Amino acid sequence: MSSSRLQLGPYGIFLIVLLLVSVPLFFLILGSFSTARLPGDFSLSTMGLENYVKIYSDPGTWDIFVNTIIYVTGSVVIGITLAVTLAWLVERTNMPGKIWIYAGVPMTLAVPGMLQAMAWVLLLSPRIGFINKSLQSLFGLAEAPINIYSLGGMIFIEGLRLVPTAFLMLVPLMRGMDPALEEAAAVCGARPFSTARKITMRLLAPGLVAVMIYQAMTALEVFEIPGILGLPAGIYVFSTKIYAVIRSATFLPVYGQANALAMVYLFIALFTTYYYTRMISRVERYTIITGKGYRPRLLDLGRWRAAAFGLVVFYLFFAIALPFLVFLYTSFLGFLQAPSAAAFATLTLKNYRFLAEYGEVGSALQNTLWMVLITATATVVLSFFVSLVVVRSKFWGRKLLDQLAFLPHAIPGIVMGIAFFWVFLKIDFLPIYGTIWAMAIGFTAGFLSYGTRSMNAALLQVHKELEEAAYVSGARPWRTLWRIFLPLMMPSFIGVWIWVILHAVRIAGLPLILYEGPQNQVLSILIWNMWDEGYVPAVAAIGTLLMLALLLLTLAVRYIGFRRQLVQAPNL
Amino acid sequence: MIKIHNLHMYYQTERGRVHAVRGIELDIEQGEFFTLLGPSGCGKTTTLRAVAGLETPTEGEIFVGDDLVYSSAKKTFVPPYHRDIGMVFQSYAIWPHLNVFENAAFPLREMKRKLSQQELRAKVDKTLALVHLDGLADRPAPFLSGGQQQRLALARALVKEPRVLLLDEPLSNLDAKLREETRVELRELVKRVGITTLYVTHDQLEALTMSDTVAVMNQGQIVQQGSPVEIYQAPAQQFVANFIGLTNFLDGRVASVADKATGIGEVETASGKLRCLLPDAAALGESVIVVIRPEDINIVTDTVDGNTLRGKIEALIFMGDALECQLSVGAQKLRTKLHPSSALRQGEIVSLQLPPLSCRALRA
Repeated sequence: MSSSRLQLGPYGIFLIVLLLVSVPLFFLILGSFSTARLPGDFSLSTMGLENYVKIYSDPGTWDIFVNTIIYVTGSVVIGITLAVTLAWLVERTNMPGKIWIYAGVPMTLAVPGMLQAMAWVLLLSPRIGFINKSLQSLFGLAEAPINIYSLGGMIFIEGLRLVPTAFLMLVPLMRGMDPALEEAAAVCGARPFSTARKITMRLLAPGLVAVMIYQAMTALEVFEIPGILGLPAGIYVFSTKIYAVIRSATFLPVYGQANALAMVYLFIALFTTYYYTRMISRVERYTIITGKGYRPRLLDLGRWRAAAFGLVVFYLFFAIALPFLVFLYTSFLGFLQAPSAAAFATLTLKNYRFLAEYGEVGSALQNTLWMVLITATATVVLSFFVSLVVVRSKFWGRKLLDQLAFLPHAIPGIVMGIAFFWVFLKIDFLPIYGTIWAMAIGFTAGFLSYGTRSMNAALLQVHKELEEAAYVSGARPWRTLWRIFLPLMMPSFIGVWIWVILHAVRIAGLPLILYEGPQNQVLSILIWNMWDEGYVPAVAAIGTLLMLALLLLTLAVRYIGFRRQLVQAPNL
Repeated sequence: MIKIHNLHMYYQTERGRVHAVRGIELDIEQGEFFTLLGPSGCGKTTTLRAVAGLETPTEGEIFVGDDLVYSSAKKTFVPPYHRDIGMVFQSYAIWPHLNVFENAAFPLREMKRKLSQQELRAKVDKTLALVHLDGLADRPAPFLSGGQQQRLALARALVKEPRVLLLDEPLSNLDAKLREETRVELRELVKRVGITTLYVTHDQLEALTMSDTVAVMNQGQIVQQGSPVEIYQAPAQQFVANFIGLTNFLDGRVASVADKATGIGEVETASGKLRCLLPDAAALGESVIVVIRPEDINIVTDTVDGNTLRGKIEALIFMGDALECQLSVGAQKLRTKLHPSSALRQGEIVSLQLPPLSCRALRA
C-alpha cells in the first residue's frame, strides 16, 4: 500500500500474466466458434455453433468422457495410495532403510513419462514385449498374456508417475503435525482409533484433498502416456483426442472442433482452480497452528518392517530401475529382441554412433538447450515478481493474479499449444510461430503455476520484517532485492529453475502443436517422431542419455534441498 | 524531534474499513525517551510504522527533525530509506545470510556517501562494542542467542547515528529475567547516546521504568500523556487506571463539591462517604468512579480520620514479596497488599483507611 514497498508495478506484472494466460484462452474460446478450416482463415463472419454440435452430438465423445474419468480416477487412486503409504512409512513408522525412500522417490522424477511408457511397451506390448515373449515361450501360450496398450496399462503407468510429486507434498504435511494435538486427544480420553479418525485424519484431510485435486489435474492434462499407450490402440482420452482431431492424417485439420473439445478443460480448470485455492487456504490455516518441526512418535511395525521395506524396493524397481535397464539394454541392440545369451553376444554401439552422425540430433539438442534455458529463466523471474505482488503487496487484484497464475496448471500442454497457435498466427507481424520462442512462451505460461506456488511458499518464509529492516537501514527497493531477497531465496530460485528444465525437456504435448520443422524441433519431438517411425534402439540410446542427464539434475535439486534446510535453520 | 499532527489511518480489511489511528498529536523533544503504551490493536505500532515510513497514513503530517516526511495536504511521502531513522523490530529481523559484522555494517554500506574501509570498520566496531557484541563480529547471525540478536538489531539501528530511534516491542521476545536486565541497559544506552527514542510496548512495567514520557493509547487515540509518575498516580480515565497496575474502583456520587485549596470533596458510595480528589468542576450529584491503588489502602484497628470502610477478608494470596488481601466491602470487592508476615486471617472483619489524597474520583 505504501509507495516504499518493493512493488515494481503490480499493474505491469498483472498485465504480463493477463497477456500470457488470458489472451491464449480468449483465442481458444473464440476459435471454438470459428467454422473456418484453419486459424489463419478466421473471421468474425464465419462464427457458429457447428463445432459444438458436431463434437457433442458424436456418441464417441461420451466414450472419451467415460475413458477419461476411469483413467484419471484409476491413476489417482493408485498414485495417492502409494504416495500416502510411502509418506506414512517414512514419517510415522520405524521401517528400516528410510533413506532409500527419501533419496529414491524424488529420483523417479528423472524418468520422463514418455520414456516410462515406452519402456513398458518394450516389456509388455503384445507383439514385441520382452515379458510377454518370455511368458509365451515359458508356458507355450499362443497369445500375449498382457497388453499394455489398454486403459489398465495407462492407469498403471500414470499411477506410478503421480507418486513422487504427491509424496513430496505429503511428507511436510505429515511432519508438520504437532504430536501434542494427538496427545491432547488421548489425554481427553480418546482411544487411538478415534484419535486417528477425529484428529489425525481431520487435520490431514484438507491437505490430502488438495494433493488429490492437484494430481487429478496432472493426470487429466498429461499427453505422453495416453499418447504412447492409447493412440496405437485407438483408446482416446481428452488430451489425445484433441491431438488426434488436429493431426488426423485423413482430413484437413479441423481446429475449431479441437477448440470446442478443449472447452471441457477450460471449465474443469476454472472449477478446480477455485476449489484448489480454497482448499489450500484451509491447509495453510491449519499449518499456522502446527508449523513447528516436531518428530511425531513412531509406530513400531514389528514383523511388518521387512514387508514395508520390500514394498519400497518393489516400487523403486518398477518406477526407475526397470525402465532404465530396459532402455540401457535396448540401446545396445542391433535390432529389437528379448534378452537372451544370443542377444547379449551381439550388443553393438551403432545406435550411439548413429546419434552422433544424424544431423537432426545436433540441431534438436541445440534448440532444446536454448528453449529450456529461456523457459526456466523466464519462469523464475516472472514467478518471483508475481509472488511478490501476491504475498507482499496490498494490490487489489493480488488474489485474482494468484488464481490467474495457477489456472494453466489444469490446462493440458496440447490445449495450451492450440491456444498459443491461434495467438501466434493472429499476431503474425511478430515472427514467433515456428521458433523456439513459441515453445518457450507457451511453457512459461504453463509452468507459472508451479513457479508461483514455490515462490509464494519461499516468500512466506522470508519474514516481512527482514525486508522492512533493509528499508529503514537505507536500502532502496532494488538494493533490497539484490542484498536481501536474492541471497535468502537463492535455493528456491535454483530449485524452480532446475525443476522447469527437468520438465520442459521431457514434455511433448505443447511442442507437438507448436513445432514447425527442424527450425524448432526439440528433443521430445525427435524422440516422439523416431518412436513413431520405428527407430526403437535409437530412441533407447537417446532415452538412456536423457535419463542420465535428468538424474544428475535431480541430484542437484536434492543437494540444494539439503542446503535450503541448513539456511532455514534460524528461528526467524 | 518527532512531530505528529492530526494523524489518521484507515485500513482495508476483510471485514471492511478500520479506523486504526484517529487524530494522533505528538511532539517529542530532542533526546526524549517517549513511549506509546496500549493494548494490542490500539494503533501504537501503526503510528510507529508511519513514522518509519513503512505505512502510509491517510491524513496528517509527520516531521522527523526539521524534515517533513509525510503530509497528506502537500502529498509528501519520504520513503523509509530516505528517512533519518534507525529501527529495531519485534522479531529483530537479523538477516540470516549475513554475519554479525555485515548485519551491523548494512546501513553504512547503503549510505550515499561511500565510507573508506577503515572508517566503516571503525564505526561498526565502535557500535558493536556499545552493545557488548565485540568479539562476535565474524559469527553467522543464526548462531546468536535471542538476547544477542536483540543487541545486534540495536547496533544496526544505531550504526549510522540517525536522529531518531524507533523501537517496536523489542523486549517481548526475551525471557522474563533477561527482559528485566535489558530494560535498564537499554534505557541507559540510548540516554548515553543521547538519541531521541520512540518506544512501543504493551507492557506497562517497561513503559513506567524506561520512559521520560508515556502516552497511553486506546482505540487509535492518545487518552493520556505524562511522566510515568503522573500516569500511575493520576490516571485521567478509568481505562488508564485499569490498564496500568492493579486498581480498585468504587462507584459513587458527588456529595459535596471540592474545596478550592485542596481539591478534595466528598463522594457518597454504597458503603459510606469518602473524601476524595474530585475532577475539576465536578457538580453536586454527578456520578463518579473512585480509584485507589491497593498499596494505598491501610488496614487499621481504630478509626483515624473518618475516611474508613468496614470490610471482611475473603481471601489471602501469598505472592512471595507480599500478601494480596481480597476484601468485600458491602457488595464491592477491594484488593490491598499486606506484608507477607501479616497475622490477619481469612474471615476477619477489619477497618480500611483510604487516604483522601490517594482516592481519585473520575467522571464515570
